[in-house]
Formats: sequence, structure tokens, C-alpha cells
Amino acid sequence: MTTTVTEPGTANGTTPVRAPQRARHWGEHLFVVPAVVFVLATVLYPLVFNVDLSFRDVGVAQIVTGGAEWVGWENYADQLGRDEFWHALVISLLYTGLAVVVAFALGMALAVYFNQRFPGRNVMRSLLLLAWILPTVVSANVWRWMLDGSYGLVNALLEAVGLVDGDLFWLARPVPALFAVVIATAWSFTPFIMILLLAGLQGIPDTLYEAAKIDGAGAWRRFTSVTMPLLKPVNLTALLLCFISTFKTFDTVFLMTRGGPGEATMILPIYAYNEAFEFFRFDTGAVATTLMLVVPLGLSVFYFRSLRREEAA
Amino acid sequence: MSAATASVRRRRRLTAGGVLITALYLLPVYWMLATSLKESSDIFATPPQLFPSPISLTSYTETVVNHAGIGRGLLNSTVIAAGTTVVTLAVAVPAAYALARLRVRFVALLILLFLVVQMVPAVNLALPMFVIFSRADLVNSYAGLILANCSLAIPLAITILRPYFLSVPGEVIEAAKIDGCTTWTAFLRVALPVSVPGLITVAVISFLGAWGEFVFGLALASDEGMQPITVVLAGLTNSFGTRWNDLMAVSVVVALPIIVVFVFLQRYIVGGLTAGATKS
Repeated sequence: MTTTVTEPGTANGTTPVRAPQRARHWGEHLFVVPAVVFVLATVLYPLVFNVDLSFRDVGVAQIVTGGAEWVGWENYADQLGRDEFWHALVISLLYTGLAVVVAFALGMALAVYFNQRFPGRNVMRSLLLLAWILPTVVSANVWRWMLDGSYGLVNALLEAVGLVDGDLFWLARPVPALFAVVIATAWSFTPFIMILLLAGLQGIPDTLYEAAKIDGAGAWRRFTSVTMPLLKPVNLTALLLCFISTFKTFDTVFLMTRGGPGEATMILPIYAYNEAFEFFRFDTGAVATTLMLVVPLGLSVFYFRSLRREEAA
Repeated sequence: MSAATASVRRRRRLTAGGVLITALYLLPVYWMLATSLKESSDIFATPPQLFPSPISLTSYTETVVNHAGIGRGLLNSTVIAAGTTVVTLAVAVPAAYALARLRVRFVALLILLFLVVQMVPAVNLALPMFVIFSRADLVNSYAGLILANCSLAIPLAITILRPYFLSVPGEVIEAAKIDGCTTWTAFLRVALPVSVPGLITVAVISFLGAWGEFVFGLALASDEGMQPITVVLAGLTNSFGTRWNDLMAVSVVVALPIIVVFVFLQRYIVGGLTAGATKS
């Protein structure tokens, strides 16, 4: 299971804290101090430390001893001048974009279906979440096996309906490999999107659908004219959250292809990981991770704004 | 009457469709289980054998049980996940309570901080942590891995828990204070007991998150004896090659705690995932 913000209701910073008329109760701050210290020490400090690394010439020896020489923007110039870095960025955006589109379309379809009233729907909704909650190491392995060229279930099914003739080695060819990691990623994220959208769907009053029906709107028309417009704030929140989470994803791709074949699925997190842990270039690795941070943090601004709008609506 | 039976029939159709969709969607999970129960020769059958026959437990009784790395990995993961859960609860629960019910400065800013932090990719932390931990001698240690896991688990836990404490009526806490409770005892004796479902949710999500975590384990535990089961499993994908039945058996074992917890505590998990989305 990936760690994600799953609790969009709290971005509302204006939550009433019982108005303190008298002096502040400083003792009550002790409740929150450990958490703040913890986050400062285990998240903010490493991030700042990482930025510092990105401006130094860190050799293998300096990893342990410290004292690496300050080289200014040299590492940034190195990374930004490298085709591999830009390639990884493009692949990351492509992979994330495709996975989000697939997961969102499937998640929406499932949400609409399981929003109908019928016996057993709650159990089924929960069961579907299993795909989301399964460790990515496990699901990536299962997909590797399902997509095996010679004995995989997916090829067998595709062959049975005549879509594939002979063996298709998904993970050994560039474009199929990208599709393969997209499919595996979307499979995990879809139930999560379904749950987010279901919550939005439940807020749409039945009377609106009844009225649309009386006006002669068919199922598709009701979806495009009632569901989609009313779901717009929820859609935006779910899309942004899914994009940010997918962009961060490392495990699925690393386990299925390690970025290959060639560089076909070399997403930024794996590129940065390789810089540091394969080639022991912690300085350029620090540059890659620091630059990578721009995407999720930039999008999170829009995410928080859309959360607030969703709450206001 | 006929309208009623038509609607019953419609609902039955919907249920049947739902079962079909769910079964299709979870086909990979079934395939993992089915493959793990096959004999080596049967995994390469064409067309694939949909049901394992004969059912063979060899992958479990021979491979899983006898492979030293797997047992060690499971032990490591248990220690790391349990440690992460305990630390997360100890740090996040009071913080979430304070942000919901106490007179604390910069509440909005702190809530935002805990949310933003969750946007940080694990690789961004694993890289500097490796350098920091190398200097502090924390690489290949439970303490280091628990610390790393908590970095993202605590903010998530606070975000999930705060709404639970917000739903504890302020009047109840005020009343407890009038009855002689201090801030601390009101928290322990009044707020905590009524927030047990939230605590379970957070404990389960922290445990499962750390159990399935991969990046920190990969980066911060190079020593095979310290690797969590997820990293062990990733290593086996190379050494097992095409022994898919063995690989799937290990995958089942890794997934098992998640599936068991999910079956018994799913309402807490689903509740945690949807807590924010359903309340407005």
C-alpha cells in the first residue's frame, strides 16, 4: 500500500479551535511538539540536507566522512545538460499521465456501477480495495507473471480472442513495457479512485436523476449532464491526488522493469535512485530528487485549493 | 406488484454483474494463489490451467519454509512494522488531539505542514537518509528503518485521526475538566476511549503501510539479514527465475497478513480511507 493523503477533509484551516480568550495554555502545546519535532527531523531536515548535497562534490568516501567540497551550481548544470534526465522526466510524465487516465476512467465506471442499489454492493466495493491495499511488491510480481511472454495469463486470454498471435514479450519491448507498468499501476490505483468518487456520487440527490429521467434523459445523458458537472470538484481532487501519488511511485516500475528495456520505462524516481545507489553519485542524485520535488509540490498547491473549493461547495 | 418484481429482478441482475466485475478485477489475486498451488510442470501448461490440479503445497512446504532469507525477512518486517505502529501512535495521537481540540498556535499551518509532507516521494527521503544514517551508524538497523517509516506514517496518521477527535463533542471534554480532569486526564479518560475506532484505523494503516514498504528497506538495509520481506521478495525474483509457483507462494505469504487484517478489520480501513471524503 502506498502512503497517500487519504483524508481530504482536513485542509480547511479555519477549523474552530475553541476561542482562547485568556492566556494561551502553553502546556497544551506539549501534545503536538513531538510530532512537529519528528517531522522536522525526519522529513524537513533530510530534504534540506539533500539540497545541501546537491551543491557539493560528494564522492564515495564523503558519504560517510562528510566534508565534500562546495561546487555551486555545477551538479545542476550537469543534470540539466543530460539527455537522460530529460528523458526520465518525459517518461515519468507519460507514465503518470497514462496511468491516471486509465485509473480514473476505470474508477469512474466502477463508482457509477457500485453506486447503484443492489444486494452485496458494499462487500464487493470493499473487496475491490484489496487491489489497492496489496503491497506493490506483490502486485508487481503478479503482473510480471501475468504478462509473461510465453506462459502468461494475459497473452493466453488475448490469444483466445484473437488479439495476439504468438508470444508478446511485454516487458522486453519498449512500448509494451510502458503499457505494462501503466496497467499494473492503474490496477492498484483504480479502487482508491472509485472510493473517492463514490463519496462524491453519494452526495448527489436522487431527485436530480428522477427529474432528468422525467425530462427524457437517457443513462449516458444523465451521466454527462447531472453526474459529471456535480462531481467536478471531487473529480479534480481525485485526479490531482492520483497524479501526485503515481508520480511518486517507485516500486511497481522498479520491480517490473528496473526502468528498462533500455530506458523505456526509466521514470525519474528510478533515475534518481540509480544515480545514488547504483553509481554512488549522491550529489547528482540529490539534484535529480530535488528537481523532481517540484512536480508534486507544485501540484499540491492546486490540490489544496481544490480541496478547499470542494469543502465550500 | 409487477413493478416491485421488476425492480427485484433488476437488482439481482446488478448483483450478478457486480460479482462478475469483482471477480474479473481480482483475477490477478486469484492467479497468484492458483499458481502458488501448482506443481512446477503445471505452471507452463498451454493453455494455462485455470484451476490447479493436483493441488500441490510443495512451494510452501519446501521453498517458503526452508528458505532462510524468507523467515528472516518476515521477522524483520514484523519488527519494523510493529515498531513503526507503536511510535506512530505514540506521536500522532496526542498531536491529532491537540490539533482538533486543544488551544494550540498555528493550527492551520501545522495541518498544512502534515499534509504537504505526504507529497514527498520516498526516494527524496531515502537518499539523504542513507547519507545521514551512514554517519550516525543507523544503516542496517531496526531503529533506522523504523525512523524512516515513521517519517511518512506520522503525518498520514495525524491527518486520518484529527477528524475522529473533532467528532468528540467539546462539551464532553469541558465537563470532564469541570469534574476535575486535567488536560492530560481528559485526553486519556474521555477522548481516547471514544476514539477507539480511529485508533484502530490508524494502527492498521500504519502497520500495513510499513509491512508493504519497499524503498526505505531497499536503500537503508543493504545487509541481507536486515532486509524486510518486501526487499527479500524483490531479490528472489532474480534468483528464482521462472519458478513462478515458488515466487507466487512467497508473494502469498507477504500478502497474507494484509489479506487477513483486511478481512477482519476492513470496515476500519475503508472508514479511514473515506473518512474525509464522506464528511464535509
